[in-house]
Amino acid sequence: APVLAQELGQMIDLGLPGGPSLRPLTPAFPGKGEMIVQRIRPPLLETPMEAFSEGTITPNDRMFVRWNWDMPSAVKAADHRVAVGGAVKAPLSLTLDDIANAGEHVEVTAINQCAGNGRGLSEPRVTGTQWGNGAMGCAKWTGVRLKDVLAKAGVAAGATRVRFAGLDVPLTDGAPQFIKSIPLDIAMRDDVLVAWGMNGEPLPLLHGYPLRIVVPGWFSTYWVKMLSTIEVLTGEDDSYYVAKSYRMPAAPITPDDKDFPTVSITTMPPRAFITSHADGAALARGKPLALEGIAMGGDAALARVDLVGQGLELPCELGPDEGRYAFRRWSVTLPAVMQDLAGIGVRAANANGIVQPETLVWNPSGYARNVIERITLRAQ
Amino acid sequence: MRGLIIIAAALALAGCESEPKVTFTDAAITLPDDPLELPEGPGREAVLENCTACHSPSTMLQQPKVSAEKWQSIAEKMIKVYKAPVDPKAIPQIVQYMVAVQ
Ligand code: HEC
Repeated sequence: APVLAQELGQMIDLGLPGGPSLRPLTPAFPGKGEMIVQRIRPPLLETPMEAFSEGTITPNDRMFVRWNWDMPSAVKAADHRVAVGGAVKAPLSLTLDDIANAGEHVEVTAINQCAGNGRGLSEPRVTGTQWGNGAMGCAKWTGVRLKDVLAKAGVAAGATRVRFAGLDVPLTDGAPQFIKSIPLDIAMRDDVLVAWGMNGEPLPLLHGYPLRIVVPGWFSTYWVKMLSTIEVLTGEDDSYYVAKSYRMPAAPITPDDKDFPTVSITTMPPRAFITSHADGAALARGKPLALEGIAMGGDAALARVDLVGQGLELPCELGPDEGRYAFRRWSVTLPAVMQDLAGIGVRAANANGIVQPETLVWNPSGYARNVIERITLRAQ
Repeated sequence: MRGLIIIAAALALAGCESEPKVTFTDAAITLPDDPLELPEGPGREAVLENCTACHSPSTMLQQPKVSAEKWQSIAEKMIKVYKAPVDPKAIPQIVQYMVAVQ
């Protein structure tokens, strides 16, 4: 295997307040282009923001990578089985062909975003993976509906949730396996998939070959990779990664608060990013300034994007709509700009009326960041 | 290592009347080696011995600057939650090292 250290020539600055902020940028991971290395093992790779500067689809070789425990590095297709069990009428062990034949083949364009995306930008800082804003991407996912796979086994009376497990298992006895569950009504949605295709290609191993769950509008922690078990539950899910981890304060707290009720992180809120200019970039004094970027509605369609800051509140033009769960491009042109533009940002609102907040709604795990992201441009 | 080295399923399109045929084949990748690079300092050995079995040192080194108490509680979380086989006697050295290198 290549020794990454020898290839770590280039570094990228993620602008994390107080640092450490420099990360290696490398194409050394199989099937990946230039990626920010947050961790070699288990792999945590972040997408550089420049990958979002064109279009709405994130190519497979630029999609962020996130594993909690070591990932298997090989899968034998003929041996792979997906067990469907728990509260079902007939427990099954399905081959990959059985899954592919379980129903109509469906394609959904959806954003896959880590619950901790942007955690490294939290102030006060919090521990955990120190992502910039590149733990997100949008792809076309192909597969069968989860409900069609469940129908093969028949969901029994009293079912409440559907839990997923993959081939990634803990290295130590007694440690919690990365298993996650969603409520039954979400599992039965027409766009919740057992997917094998990513942008028209087989899922790369780093993204969960041969199968992963896709839950459009929900954070990717639920999009279990290398799917090997589907388990129908009849009560609450008391497993670690649902009951203890991936949780947020039920109501806003301050960094000094200690004991507070929590809820699972689930759906994504709206977000928007300027991709045409990085923080600190130059603008041409006296010339019109064209800004553009991407935005998302989260679990509802994007409704609008406004440029804000410096007393501005300018509606942006939205690009083609590729579905409510996809990135959408926005653009806006300012008339002749004469001075620096400090702290400008874009504010997305979704069809449910949820608007990005002016200030960070801080939480101790840095989950679900969606404060307006601001940059400063220098007139030259 | 540029380019796709996974040669896995091909999504071949069949006629419209039937579902497209999906073919799954074996897939394997070789992940980059983990050089386990940690700056020199007292306690480095304790960290290498106790904290790098499950994840690269970057897991620790990239954290924001936190207190000794926080490092203590992180080490305890590793033992309690993730069943990390950490020698309890090494914890003070681990904490000292992490505070020093941050
Ligand atoms: C038995 C496996 C194991 C060992 C040994 C281990 N850890 Fe961890 N550690 C984990 C897992 C699992 C995570 C969560 C990984 C993830 O979210 O991707 C983690 C995460 C972390 C994090 C990120 C912050 C957080 O709370 O998620 C830090 C810091 C950390 N470990 C430090 C340490 C230190 C210091 C030691 C040695 C005292 C250690 N680890 C030993 C399994 C281990």
